[in-house]
Amino acid sequence: MCSAIALATSELPLSLLEQHGLEDRVHDRGGEKEVRFYWQARPALLPVWWDGRLQVVKWGNRDRAERTLPPTGWTWRETVEDGKWSAMSPEPVLVPATFGYANGVWYKVKQGLQGVLVRDRTGQPVVFLVTEPATRYYRVMTRAEWMPALVGEVI
Amino acid sequence: MVGHLDADCFYVSAERVRHPDLRNKPVGVLGNNGACVIAKSYEMRAAGVKTGTPIWDAVKLCPTGVYVKRDFYWYEVLSRKMLEAVSRHFSPVEYYSIDEFFFRANAPRAGQRLHDAALAVRDHILEACGLPVTIGVARTRTLAKLFSDTAKPFGAVTVTDRDHERELLARLPVTEISGVGGRRAARLAPYGIRTCLDYAQAEGRLIRQLLTKTGYELWLELNGHPVTPIRPERTPHQVLARGGSLMGNVEDPTVLWAWCVRHTERLIEELHFHNVRTDALGVSLAWKDGESTAGVCKLPVPSDRFDELLDGARTALRRAYLPRKVATHMHVVAPELRRARGFQLSLFDPPNAKLDAVARVKTAVNERYGRFKLRSASTLYLPAVYADPANNFDICDVRGKVCF
Repeated sequence: MCSAIALATSELPLSLLEQHGLEDRVHDRGGEKEVRFYWQARPALLPVWWDGRLQVVKWGNRDRAERTLPPTGWTWRETVEDGKWSAMSPEPVLVPATFGYANGVWYKVKQGLQGVLVRDRTGQPVVFLVTEPATRYYRVMTRAEWMPALVGEVI
Repeated sequence: MVGHLDADCFYVSAERVRHPDLRNKPVGVLGNNGACVIAKSYEMRAAGVKTGTPIWDAVKLCPTGVYVKRDFYWYEVLSRKMLEAVSRHFSPVEYYSIDEFFFRANAPRAGQRLHDAALAVRDHILEACGLPVTIGVARTRTLAKLFSDTAKPFGAVTVTDRDHERELLARLPVTEISGVGGRRAARLAPYGIRTCLDYAQAEGRLIRQLLTKTGYELWLELNGHPVTPIRPERTPHQVLARGGSLMGNVEDPTVLWAWCVRHTERLIEELHFHNVRTDALGVSLAWKDGESTAGVCKLPVPSDRFDELLDGARTALRRAYLPRKVATHMHVVAPELRRARGFQLSLFDPPNAKLDAVARVKTAVNERYGRFKLRSASTLYLPAVYADPANNFDICDVRGKVCF
């Protein structure tokens, strides 16, 4: 599983940082600032390319605020492909990331992760990360049984 | 004079060429299985991570480190580009390993100092390939290699003065010499030989007595007498082998056979590339309890054909196999190579045109549609290798290197 992503602050407009109060989530790695989006953070947020622009939206339904959405932040690729989300008019989105994180391991991400975006009762966007069974390499590297669907690469 | 060029943490630098956001960060490149760090940046090394450290230990030592999956194809592309860049400045150049070259170091232009020429090639490689390298120039290749290590990272050192040479040698322990490991160092220690200068100043006869001819040749090189020339072409292989880890513990003989077939198919690719055939086929196995066994099968005629080598592999594996034991590594070896022309044909087995044609079709299909797209059905027992898309770049088969 991928329980966090990091995105270089240079990729994120300052207005988004301020609008969502992300200053506390800014960390330094090798002299470069990045925003870390943890699943454990409250609220859990993720950046997404949606409607032609970069936005920060709610990640999953951990607080179970929505009864119609699964109480998690991930969904199987198979579930999406089987059409089980179709009633919610899901939209595929790109979750841009510089690094992914699973079980204590930060790993390089080339472009980003695949996500599914739906709207809650109030019309607010909620994103779920698309996952698939981990390749052997990813499983050995992170000890995780499932991995995010990455854009343009396989780990 | 001889020059030695060594890329600074090459795999990491190669990743930084295409991912500039990895610069200045602790980065570890992981090996074929994703379990061990095979190359680390200076930042990660400062945190205590070494080559070979398992990832689960590395993340404890360096929690903010970033890990990258290896891509040997990309590393080879950059390595060849680096070779081309060096060849524009110096000739001849020896492709020693994927990230190390030796070259004859003469100031290329009249009036240019040798050190300036070394700096020029270093800067050219950074500009042309994006890779930081360090260069050492000295009287012999052993000295050049030793001194380039002292100038890392992104340095250049030219040692033409004997006093300078002695000063550097006095600072280096004997284990820094390529070819002198812990066991050899232990043999030298009772004679007070601890530094490279001690080694160079010892009696040649004593060194020969303690470390045989190999040690004596190193002694000559340390004293400025070149023993090994620059080799622009790799000498022909005496032996070819393919193999490695079995990606875990293997007890099932069917799976062992599948691995054996896979390595035989890889070996045949190499035989074809080098235009050689083999007189025999060997299989060596490493077992989990530390034991290792090997089996060899002589072939009736030198061969590079799948069906014939498969028969040999079957016999060799049977000879190496220990029932109810767990294997961890396997190598398939062609130990007796013959140039593909001029070998003796069997008296009773005429060439089999049909099987030769099948082999050609297999090669053509794989060249067109991808490596191992057409392969033996025995390898279906290895889904972790073939059905896993993460294994597309699993093989480091860089050809033409002098060193392994």
